[in-house]
Amino acid sequence: MGIERVESSDAELVRRIRTGDIGAYGALVSRYRDRLGRYALHMLGDREDAEEALQDSFVRAYRSLARCDDPARFGAWLYGILVNRCRTSGARAARRRRMFVRDADALHGAAHADQSDRLEWTDAVDRALARLAPESREAFLLKHVEDLEYEEIAELTGAGVSALKMRVKRAREQLQRYLREAEHV
Amino acid sequence: MMLALLLVAAQVGAPAPALIQDPRLDRLDPDTRVQVSTVLDSARRVGLPTEPLIQRALEGATKAAPGSRIVAAVRRLSADLRVARIALGGEASAPELEAGVAALRAGARPQVLANLRSARRGLLTVALSVLADLVASGVPADSAAVAVLALAPQARDADLVEFRRAVERDIALGAPPGAATSVRVNAGANVQSAGSNPGAQPRPRRP
Amino acid sequence: MFEHEDDVVQRVIEQLRRPVAIDPALDARVMEVIAAPRPPTRAIWPWLAAAAVLVSLIMWRPWSRSFRVEAAAFQFVLVAPHANSVSLVGDFNDWDPKRSPMRTANGIWATVVQLAPGRYRYAFLVNGVEWRADPGAPAVPDDEFGTPSSVVTVGGRGS
Repeated sequence: MGIERVESSDAELVRRIRTGDIGAYGALVSRYRDRLGRYALHMLGDREDAEEALQDSFVRAYRSLARCDDPARFGAWLYGILVNRCRTSGARAARRRRMFVRDADALHGAAHADQSDRLEWTDAVDRALARLAPESREAFLLKHVEDLEYEEIAELTGAGVSALKMRVKRAREQLQRYLREAEHV
Repeated sequence: MMLALLLVAAQVGAPAPALIQDPRLDRLDPDTRVQVSTVLDSARRVGLPTEPLIQRALEGATKAAPGSRIVAAVRRLSADLRVARIALGGEASAPELEAGVAALRAGARPQVLANLRSARRGLLTVALSVLADLVASGVPADSAAVAVLALAPQARDADLVEFRRAVERDIALGAPPGAATSVRVNAGANVQSAGSNPGAQPRPRRP
Repeated sequence: MFEHEDDVVQRVIEQLRRPVAIDPALDARVMEVIAAPRPPTRAIWPWLAAAAVLVSLIMWRPWSRSFRVEAAAFQFVLVAPHANSVSLVGDFNDWDPKRSPMRTANGIWATVVQLAPGRYRYAFLVNGVEWRADPGAPAVPDDEFGTPSSVVTVGGRGS
């Protein structure tokens, strides 16, 4: 009864973009926007920074589309651009991290039980995540939130697999510690 | 693992939003916007470029045209793009298709577009535009087609533009439009392009 | 694989995996950036009959053999001695009068725009209300909105 909507694959869209249909890139943007946006947001801890990094990555990907050797792997290639872009998006994210660390210290000093009761879980997670060293946070997010294999993460980040495993392990331990601290205040 | 799944999903096609949400279309009233988005959606589904359609809608919005007129214009352009693509082939770029629409609307038959595709290497955007523009100057469509097809195999894009300008000058000076093209084509084996002064700073071009 | 199932970390992962809503306007911002001609690096000069106009031709870097785009500088001119404002609007700037306002010297209005290869309809908007075609350019015969328009075609490879 209904007409089946046949969506174009990434490779097909890339092919069309290369023949001049800029509009086809819009389909790729909307296809990957939320997935990559999630990574950028958790990595950078700031929505404006994340959207800026995301936008820059999409623009950069379009402008260097010829360097995407395998259009069928456009998603992975775009991921790599975003991961690198997030690494350079330092300034505001770093300031916010320092602010969170100060908040956590202030929280230690406050002895009111209802303050810790009011602490939102999501805020706690964000703050704990923000306290991780960038490379640990990156590895943790790529492994456990974006579900990449260590080999794939190695390809995107240029780090070795054993180093990545160490970073993820450290991230897990630190997150656990920070969140237990937050619960017990 | 997830990356592999991501790639597989991309291959079979991830679901896209229901209608194209281009914020530029916010300039249209909601009813018009929905109708235009529907046309864009259909166009995208069959692989037609949507940017020309969006620009047509924005033109209508800026000119404060009634919504029904905007929708009609976008629909008509979408249909014409489809015809142009049949004539020019599926590999035609968006600019070629737009120029093809202009040529068709000027009165060129689809066969002329197909012949142009065979006669000329590279992009046809300028050749098709020149064809359309000649007709807009008053040259009969058949004469314009003959002229452009005659020049198509050898002339560069800049030569074709110069040809068009020369014909327009002749017409402005009183030559009958049909005659203006044939005189130019017969004399024009060695059409010189403008701006062949090697040391000069490139000047901005004019339409 | 971790030996001990860590409940806290597991809850963190579940929290972080939740979908995140990204501003839908981001799509349009991306498209606007990639579709817009890159701004000229020089100032815009009005055109006078005797003066030579210098604007650099900006060539985009070739990314590969098969994907090279040229953007060329195009100058648009309108003689309108009694106008208070003139804007250039067309397919290259979303028909937005704010994007390409023109500058005037002695009643001659001009602006320079970078255009990638393609065919563009355009017109001048005088004083925000009056539409004028470009007398020096081919006209668009099939005007659907009741106002005159002109055409500029840019040759070159790719887009």
